[in-house]
Amino acid sequence: MRARAGKPRTGGASGRRAGPVRQARAVRLGPRSVAALALVSATGVAAFGWPLLADSASGLAHARDAPWLFAALLPLLLAVAVATVADAGLDAKAVAMLGVLAAAGAALRPLGAGTAGLEPMFFLMVLSGRVLGPGFGFVLGAVSMCASALLTGGVGPWLPFQMLSMGWVSMGAGLLPRPDTLRGRPELLLLAAYGAVASVLYGTAMNLQGWTYIAGLGSGVSFVPGDPLGANLSRFLAYVLATSLGWDLPRAALTVVLTLTVGGAVLKALRRATRRAAFDAPVAFAPPERPEP
Amino acid sequence: MTARAPDAPTAPRALSRLRAPEAARGNALHAGAWWLWALGLATAASRTTNPLLLALLVTVAGYVVAARRTDAPWAHSYVAFLKLGLLVLLIRLVFAFFLGSPIPGTHVLVTLPELPLPDWAQGVRVGGRVTAEGMLFAAYDGLKLATLLVCVGAANALASPARLLKSLPGALYEVGVAVVVAMTFAPHLVADVRRLRAARRLRGRADRGVAALLQVGLPVLEGALERSVAVAAAMDARGYGRTAHVPAPVRHATSALVLGGLLGVCVGTYALLTADGAAYGTPLLAAGLAAALAGLRLGGRRSVRSRHRPDRWGVRAWLVAGSGAAVAAATVWADGRWPEALRPATVPLAAPELPLWPAASLLLGLLPAFVAPLPPAPTGPEPERGAERDAEPERRPEPPPYRRPHRSEESP
Repeated sequence: MRARAGKPRTGGASGRRAGPVRQARAVRLGPRSVAALALVSATGVAAFGWPLLADSASGLAHARDAPWLFAALLPLLLAVAVATVADAGLDAKAVAMLGVLAAAGAALRPLGAGTAGLEPMFFLMVLSGRVLGPGFGFVLGAVSMCASALLTGGVGPWLPFQMLSMGWVSMGAGLLPRPDTLRGRPELLLLAAYGAVASVLYGTAMNLQGWTYIAGLGSGVSFVPGDPLGANLSRFLAYVLATSLGWDLPRAALTVVLTLTVGGAVLKALRRATRRAAFDAPVAFAPPERPEP
Repeated sequence: MTARAPDAPTAPRALSRLRAPEAARGNALHAGAWWLWALGLATAASRTTNPLLLALLVTVAGYVVAARRTDAPWAHSYVAFLKLGLLVLLIRLVFAFFLGSPIPGTHVLVTLPELPLPDWAQGVRVGGRVTAEGMLFAAYDGLKLATLLVCVGAANALASPARLLKSLPGALYEVGVAVVVAMTFAPHLVADVRRLRAARRLRGRADRGVAALLQVGLPVLEGALERSVAVAAAMDARGYGRTAHVPAPVRHATSALVLGGLLGVCVGTYALLTADGAAYGTPLLAAGLAAALAGLRLGGRRSVRSRHRPDRWGVRAWLVAGSGAAVAAATVWADGRWPEALRPATVPLAAPELPLWPAASLLLGLLPAFVAPLPPAPTGPEPERGAERDAEPERRPEPPPYRRPHRSEESP
């Protein structure tokens, strides 16, 4: 199997030098998977943003259990979305690559936990999403968050939200323009800019989901059910400034610095591994040939 | 305990049969039972702000964890979540102190200078009066969330994630394998990094700093990617990728259920956000969820495999999960019966009382400490064992230099 997977590599490598070759997609996304991902993402937007999106007269805005409702709903939706993507084609090679990259992400995560939000994990997720495509990226983000939470015993109501938003970060990197042709310095600049924006947005989204229960109801920066959007928004901004902007901005800076310095080498390593895995090679099972006696 | 059992006379033998057995591979408790138990306790915690009841809940969860936890790395998460809960409590108190509280109060503790803010930030207040009522409300509410987190931490400490992943539905099999691979590889990667850093140290180069981090990190990543190709080959060789033939009608039914269900969930959620959408939003959400989960179950048809030693949901699992559910149900019932005891008033200030029956019902949560199988090794002096494990890789590189010359002399 290994020898067979290695054979097309030599041909592919020599063809690659001649001109841009289509980037391999580790996970094919059919129309069904795209629809499922879009629907789950739309529901996820409501799960994150309900404090700001809900009408002030709606029952949800006043329900004290709303954060827990979404924390219970999201894992089920994530399971359905991931199963749909896996159904369309998650072969052994993709599973192994997924496991190894998620392990690297999970191992990187405790490295920076607590030290001013220096999370090198973002950088790896963005680059992997770019190289391996949006479908693989979404599953990778979700799986790495899940694995690192299970490893460290950090499963909590925030986990489904982290899985979904990390999936978005990595999927977004896969959706960036010109994955087949853009190479070199411009690509690194694009990825650095995306990584900075994505890591700040990730932090803001996680703040939004934690805001309703961490800030509680008893202080001046907490969510007030039924208030107009403007008042709640300014309170949320004050909450972000007070709690996490000091973490989010260093994280964005670290992502940019890492992408610009070692991004090229990591991209090359990822592309080489993708080529070796030969994701696009057609796999056909045939009955064994009987040698004629 | 096992040594004593044969000597015991017949009457206590019946009792000893009732006593929890030692956990073996065959009789391990289903990991889902621990989660249901902990979620039951968490539900109870979400229904009360009485600090005495909340403290009792934390104690109950802590006792069960102390009685039934293993030596696994995740078993320390009870303490980690306890610290996290205290942090959340502290954050809430700091917010209430500096950013004001909407709770009306008459007992002014201190008056801070108030920061003038622009018009657009009129919802926010910085500084001003700090009242005892506001601080007490923040403390009660923070304590509630802290208890909730501690209950989740208890589940983290007790439920083995590997067993939880084993009981995933068939449609999630591939992703479950990916998570297992990730959880197995992550410690290897950390070990690789340690080894490469040790090698750099031996060559007299710095093993700290940015340059060292990069020169160690990149080879580790390359090695891991290499290994992933090898793992894939090994999985292929063991017939991993085989899927069952799913008839077209079943496939179409799966797609219709999944997509229709997700559409229902999406529309239902957005209906809940509108002013009067709860009437049709809730049933739509529930129906959509049911359809999507049915699709998930039907999608499991494509994976054909037998499970090695599946975790059975036995009597003990029922008892553990049931004790959590009983605590939750009793507290929800008590919340309707004695609301003022479960949510002590902060305006006017009053000392909370311990309501007898709700407190007694919380003790039902102790049941797992008696019925769940005992972990194999008694939780001994762990810090020493941990230190031993850490010291081992440091000691290991020593033997080869002594043995190698020995062998090379003998071999020719």
